Amino acid sequence: MKTWFRNLAVAFIAALALASALPVNAAYPELQLEIRDHLFYPSVLKVPANTKIKLIVVNRDATPEEFESYELNREKVIMGGQKAVIFIGPLAPGEYPFFGEFNPKTAQGKVIAE
Amino acid sequence: MLLTSVILVLREVLEAALLLSILLAMSHYLGLQMRWIFMALAGGILGSIAYGAGIGAVSEAFDGMGQELMNAAMQFAIYGLLLLVGILLIWNRTGRQQFLPLLQWSMVLAVALAALREGSEVYVYLMAFRHQADLLQSVLLGALIGGGIGFSIGALFYYLLVGLPKNRRLLVVLVLLTLVAAGLCLQATQLLEQADWLPAQVPLWDTSALLSENSLLGQLFYSLLGYEATPTRNAVTAYLGGMSLMATLLFAAWAKSRSLPEKGLNG
Repeated sequence: MKTWFRNLAVAFIAALALASALPVNAAYPELQLEIRDHLFYPSVLKVPANTKIKLIVVNRDATPEEFESYELNREKVIMGGQKAVIFIGPLAPGEYPFFGEFNPKTAQGKVIAE
Repeated sequence: MLLTSVILVLREVLEAALLLSILLAMSHYLGLQMRWIFMALAGGILGSIAYGAGIGAVSEAFDGMGQELMNAAMQFAIYGLLLLVGILLIWNRTGRQQFLPLLQWSMVLAVALAALREGSEVYVYLMAFRHQADLLQSVLLGALIGGGIGFSIGALFYYLLVGLPKNRRLLVVLVLLTLVAAGLCLQATQLLEQADWLPAQVPLWDTSALLSENSLLGQLFYSLLGYEATPTRNAVTAYLGGMSLMATLLFAAWAKSRSLPEKGLNG
């Protein structure tokens, strides 16, 4: 029983190591998004469909914001004055809303993949 | 501001509150002292402040991916702790009274980690209003209401579990813990995709029209079952893998606890 447990654990760790060693990272198209006065600039981002994108979000406000999108499955806290990198996609053609969770009334935007 | 803060805090509190109520129901079942809950909450609150205060620095680590990696690591750690809790619950189901301190500390750590991961975001949010006296009041009131609703749902859930017939309670809790744990694997995978540590993929399906993640029910399912409307193949694999691994180990523990004589009843 004990060796069986150990084998399982070894297999699990090996699988994790394999997953993390997969060849990821390459040059992805970059897009920049800014937060100013709790608004996103630009509020509509057009991206190529079925392509992974490196999204750079610069928070120009002094206050923190949380970039959040249910459709993109992304969330990240960005402190005041900080710059955050968020990888999104590949996306099927369509619209993907995102918002600032700390200021959801004003901080609204969407990614359009086409 | 009031409504924003109600929703934000409710969302963040729900996951930890549900986990807490599942574990509390099990403590009740085993007749354990409930004092561990205070340790867990204190750890969660202090941890939230520490992580929230340091999140700017954490974010910049690992080429700007520190936040994703830290959160994913915490999800995997909670997974491991829930697995340990499940095994120890099975081991003690016939009143062996063994490894109880380990069981309690695992529960404390699991709840504290779950609370601090989400609580740190609440801390960051609230701190942004500390110099805006005019808004602070409604933000704090909203946070209290949101937290109150979250813990009320947790309390309801607790009484639901405690009300189950005793012979079925352990099984229900183990199934719930396994589903919560599988959901943590899914969330961790999404964070690793966000950080580009795992290859990104197109979602396998989209059930957002059926049940939006943005709805209260969607949030409840997200916290309890790891519901995700648009999961990728990696996310689904992590969910099923995490679930199968935990189910297998729990079954093995159950079989073993049956085959061994019940010794050590007196210590």
